[in-house]
Amino acid sequence: MKTVFTIAKKEYELALHSISTYIVYILFLVIIGIIFSNMVFKIARAELRFLFEVIHIVFLFYIPAITMGSIAKERQTGTLELLSTLPIKLSSIVWGKILSAVFQIITIIILSLVFFGIIVIFGEGIDYGAIICGYIGLILAGLAYASIGVFASSFPSNQILAFVLALLISTVFYLLKFLLPLLPFGLVPIVQYFSFDYHLSSFLKGVIDTRDILFFLAVTVIFALLAQFNLQSKNLMQEK
Amino acid sequence: MIKIDKLSRYFGEIKAVDEISFCIQDKEIVGFLGPNGAGKTTTLRMIVGYLQPSSGNIEIDGESIFTDPLKASRQIGYLPEQNPLYDEMTVVELLAYFAALRKLKRDYFRERLNFVVKNCGLKDVLYQRIGTLSKGYRQRTGLAQAILHDPRILILDEPTSGLDPNQIIEIRELIRELGKEKMVLLSSHIMQEVQALCDRVVIINKGKIIVDDNIENLPNYLKRSTMLILEVQGENVDFSDFLKEYPFVELDILSRNETTCKVCVYETSGRLISSSITNNESDKNSIDETSEFDLRQELSRFIRDRGWLILEFSTSKMSLESIFHELTIENYYEPEIEEKLSAEQEVMEEEQIKPAETEDNREEQ
Repeated sequence: MKTVFTIAKKEYELALHSISTYIVYILFLVIIGIIFSNMVFKIARAELRFLFEVIHIVFLFYIPAITMGSIAKERQTGTLELLSTLPIKLSSIVWGKILSAVFQIITIIILSLVFFGIIVIFGEGIDYGAIICGYIGLILAGLAYASIGVFASSFPSNQILAFVLALLISTVFYLLKFLLPLLPFGLVPIVQYFSFDYHLSSFLKGVIDTRDILFFLAVTVIFALLAQFNLQSKNLMQEK
Repeated sequence: MIKIDKLSRYFGEIKAVDEISFCIQDKEIVGFLGPNGAGKTTTLRMIVGYLQPSSGNIEIDGESIFTDPLKASRQIGYLPEQNPLYDEMTVVELLAYFAALRKLKRDYFRERLNFVVKNCGLKDVLYQRIGTLSKGYRQRTGLAQAILHDPRILILDEPTSGLDPNQIIEIRELIRELGKEKMVLLSSHIMQEVQALCDRVVIINKGKIIVDDNIENLPNYLKRSTMLILEVQGENVDFSDFLKEYPFVELDILSRNETTCKVCVYETSGRLISSSITNNESDKNSIDETSEFDLRQELSRFIRDRGWLILEFSTSKMSLESIFHELTIENYYEPEIEEKLSAEQEVMEEEQIKPAETEDNREEQ
């Protein structure tokens, strides 16, 4: 566990040393800010639900971008060789990478609290429960996307392909909700269950359901295991 | 003691390492030599646990590294071939990171940090980013990382590549010092390095071990390891009579003009490569005492009888370099090529017999 934190901490610190991180943060705030200022006056209600949905879409691109290098870059530069000959488990490497992505997601969510502040200052009758639940839901969805991103990065290819693959998988999970009206009636509940939006929406309504939490955690664990399997099958020692 | 037992590794159809077995004793520096693509790095990667062998076993003190890989990797310090490091980190950050991953205690890390900084000469660059380091310092950082946790076993893949001569001497000195109490396995294609550092040498080619012996014994792998370099002056210098008299002697003309002639003379029982002669001026005075038939005496008699002048007369022992060259090129490639050719011929013959079937196979493929 300590190793996971060591790896996550180092990755996070390196990300904070990089100028591109700050450019992305500024871009994020600008995009969200524009949408926020447009929407908040249109619907004239003190809620952040639409904002969360926009952040969800931003995550589809942002999270593959921060995770694409996580393992692919280490493989490219050869540091993966060094890392995997240390007395640490391969799962620690995978979880460390996921955790560092979650740290970055939390950072960006903290930045978006600016808009929450604006609502608090100028709004009336705010449903704090729904907003807090929304943030929890976003972090959980972010965790699942981060796991998908690390999985995509664990293939022996370059970072761009890792980004595209992560974007593809994430988008499939996201777009499932648009597929629902086209499906035969019997299939709807099954497909709906795999839709990220479906699980996130109950958070945004202010409902914390264990099943939703379990869904995101299960997706995270499955992709983390797949990433670990990818590392193993690339000729590393099986037992690690 | 590390025992490598019938270790093999395939990459698809290609057999990169083919049932190699050797041991590394405590306090021994073993040089692992081979041309590019011989399987050196693959073997080292299997020992450090980065690659899973296709078959075979590796034991450290009688315990297979596969029963407890984490325990094995705690005892090993590894410097990979290209020396990959995190370019964005400073040297001290990197060392602290690896110490944390290896779970070293804080005080112990301080102590070891002092040791590696002093011994690897990293004091000036401690707070510099690794991406900005010169190759020499980068290599030292890699070495510092490998010895940080004071491992019993050091696996170094080409440790002195890219260093300037002074740095090479320093790093070699450090490896020699470390070899007094550790097992060191270093791969290299620089012969002088192995000659200068190692107690024992393992030469590998095409995935097979062709020599595993102490450095001093290496010349014995060739039937005759001495040759004579001779420059004479005279009218119509011609050695053909001498060669007629001693049919087992061969002669290469290195350079020739109107009055002088420089030749390399050797006995055919040891096939020598003339290109290595000119490189090897340092061993001019070495004499092969074991030779029963003294080529030198016979040659000088022959020259005296003809009244030529001797401008240069030197004996040259084979360097490790030429032994390596001979063992890996001369003795091994030829049967390989023959095998391939005969295999190809067989295939061609088969195709001629059953042309229809082979076409079907191709389609299936």
